[in-house]
Amino acid sequence: MTDKFTVYLVDDEPGVLKALSRLLRARGYEVKPYFSPQLFLEEHDVAVPGCAILDVSMPGLDGLELQRALTAAGGSHRPVVFVTGKGDIPTSVRAMKAGAIDFLTKPVKDKDLFEAVSRAEALDAESRRIHSELESMQAKFRTLTPREREVLTHVVAGRLNKQIAGDLGTAEKTIKVHRSRMMEKLGIRMVADLVRMAEKLNLSK
Amino acid sequence: MLLFLFAAESYAAEPHRVLMLHAFGHAYSPWSDMAASFRAEIIKKSPQPIDLYEVSLDTARVQDSKEDAPFVEYIKALLSGRPPDLIVPVGAPAAFFLQRNRPQLFPRTPMMILGADVRRIPGAARTEYDTGVLLDLDLPAYLTNVLQLLPETTDIAVVVGNSPVERYWTSELHRAFQQFADRVNITWFNDLTLGEMQERAARMPAKSVIFWFLLSEDAAGVPYSEDRALETMREVSTVPIFGMGDYQLGRGIVGGPLMQTKAVGQQGADAALRILKGERAGAVAPPSVLFGPPAYDSRELQRWGISEARLPSGSIVHFHQPTIWEQYRWPIVAVATIIPLQSVLIGYVFFQGRRRREAEAEAALQRKEVEHLMRVSVLGELSGSIAHEINQPLTAILSNAQAALHLLAQKSPDLVEIRDALEDIVHEDNRAGEVIHRLRDLLKKGERKVENVNINDLIRSTISLLNSELVGRDINVKLDLGNSALLVRGDPVQLQQVLLNLVMNAMDAMASTPMARRLILISTRGAYNGMVDVLVKDRGRGISPKENGHLFEPFYTTKDRGLGLGLALCSTIIRAHQGKLTLVNDQAGGAIAGFSLPIQEPAIGAA
Repeated sequence: MTDKFTVYLVDDEPGVLKALSRLLRARGYEVKPYFSPQLFLEEHDVAVPGCAILDVSMPGLDGLELQRALTAAGGSHRPVVFVTGKGDIPTSVRAMKAGAIDFLTKPVKDKDLFEAVSRAEALDAESRRIHSELESMQAKFRTLTPREREVLTHVVAGRLNKQIAGDLGTAEKTIKVHRSRMMEKLGIRMVADLVRMAEKLNLSK
Repeated sequence: MLLFLFAAESYAAEPHRVLMLHAFGHAYSPWSDMAASFRAEIIKKSPQPIDLYEVSLDTARVQDSKEDAPFVEYIKALLSGRPPDLIVPVGAPAAFFLQRNRPQLFPRTPMMILGADVRRIPGAARTEYDTGVLLDLDLPAYLTNVLQLLPETTDIAVVVGNSPVERYWTSELHRAFQQFADRVNITWFNDLTLGEMQERAARMPAKSVIFWFLLSEDAAGVPYSEDRALETMREVSTVPIFGMGDYQLGRGIVGGPLMQTKAVGQQGADAALRILKGERAGAVAPPSVLFGPPAYDSRELQRWGISEARLPSGSIVHFHQPTIWEQYRWPIVAVATIIPLQSVLIGYVFFQGRRRREAEAEAALQRKEVEHLMRVSVLGELSGSIAHEINQPLTAILSNAQAALHLLAQKSPDLVEIRDALEDIVHEDNRAGEVIHRLRDLLKKGERKVENVNINDLIRSTISLLNSELVGRDINVKLDLGNSALLVRGDPVQLQQVLLNLVMNAMDAMASTPMARRLILISTRGAYNGMVDVLVKDRGRGISPKENGHLFEPFYTTKDRGLGLGLALCSTIIRAHQGKLTLVNDQAGGAIAGFSLPIQEPAIGAA
């Protein structure tokens, strides 16, 4: 992750877009401004660390729809800050429920904006860390053979080696070998860690 | 009642297809008046829905075209092989067209000719599938009327145009007026342009009159629709103008025996319904439509000093304005008997006169108040959006200013960037100022101004006022305005009010239209007929037959929160600008609201 934290700014109003970009750049942020929501969606790269600041009312695709489209495109952990000229309560509730970091009303005060962006920065870093952890776990999991995966689900379910051998119709010794190779591949020593990892990878079912 | 409803419902599945063929285009009086009356009447009276197709053979007014083929192809394509149940040619040229092309065009479909003169459609020319509601104009009666009202008349100028139809009538009129040759001197305007006619009208000798027969196209080939030419003639004429049809009454003619366009439409609708019910067209033979009781315009009678005592018995006087005596007979009689002093009586009449003027002034003031209230209420509905329009530049200003402050706080401030920020602040401030300026104009209770207005600019400014409302309702707007300025004379605030109203109606109409289809198309066309046409087209639910005809009535509304004054007021404003407001359904769905106003530079584009 060598990329610099980038603020994606989407507002259909050119004057506002330019002013907010200038303000964020003055603060030292890397800013990518878009006045077309569609163009933003096309160019948006989840891999780049950053956050999105979206105007709520835009023609064609409004901010909330854009947030949904972003989630659907696999950018679920991209922190979103909304900016609106109207600030009506139902819209802000919906936005916050959908995971927005903040909902700022225009005209936006610099303090509020910077605060929201710095929270977004922290959140993005955290979610990126969790994400990369998850990814490395997934990579390890993919190295398991089908038999080892089978043994893993039984272990996680709390079965003893003997019981597992009975379930799978094989010798306890064989299960022991599978089990230790599986633990080794995943880099895990304790069954408790294995259970935690299975939960994260959503393997319990 | 219930039975009738059920019967109507069981029929309702299959509409009757009626094809109207216009000889002259949609807006040429008197044919357009007959067609309008026919249309309204048949839709009102028919137990089944009527599916109307209308085709204009515009060329009929230019020449008796031998090149019918494209029109035949067009009509065939329009009805795509399904023959109509009835064809209604409006005017003789349309009937001739159909007679020529019957074999290719639905030979077995009955035809009902509307509003042609019996002289032009002799009985022998009709087949068993034909009938007609025809006119029988008693041409000499027109001049007899003039001489009865103004026996001392020495000169009569006849206004008649120079299209093929009008050339036919010129020769008929020549023949019919022969008998007056020894009493009056008749001059003919058929070889003049409208401008020349107006010049002549302004210099007519005393004791002369103008007889306005028909002007669809003048000698220079310039077409005139809806008899607007008559209204301009009335403004310059120094002598009374007599006319030939009921549609001209109220547009400046004195009156007399008149051709009845409304009756033609009504009787046409009755005959059409009998044919649609299954009667053989040839057997439905309505009598020709003669003149109704002579009708006069009270204002014109007064203007030219013609006493009502001279009118033939049974006459109807329209636009009657009560005299002071009629209005205040009893107070005057009482005062005259109790205090028989002339000075007191005069004083009293003056007093009443002043009160009436005061009442009129008050009425005018109230109308202005209502207009103002409507603007305020429209803006009230838009307040959220307008606040947004001002908030945008404010946002840009604040962020630019704060950016500049942050930049200044840095060790080596980027002065170029700071300068840019300050320039943007000035620009955005101007923008906010413009929005406020536009609002102030609309909110002001000013006197009516008359100035040159570029209608295209006015449309752009109206749309930018509505911008965020349009975005909020997911409505796209397409402007088809052309590049050149279209100038009209009028009050920019009132005209903007009309535009605001029409666009907001279009927005409201599309509440249940799927989002992807929501579109308002605004187009302008200029220099056609010396008029600017403005159209606002939506993709909403259109006008239901129930609403049709009521929409311009004050306090009639189809909206939950409407006052029912919007269109009534718009119509009044447009009429005050010498224009006309119309509202029709688009065949493709939705409604088209439009108005036309006289263009400010008549010469451009007309040549």
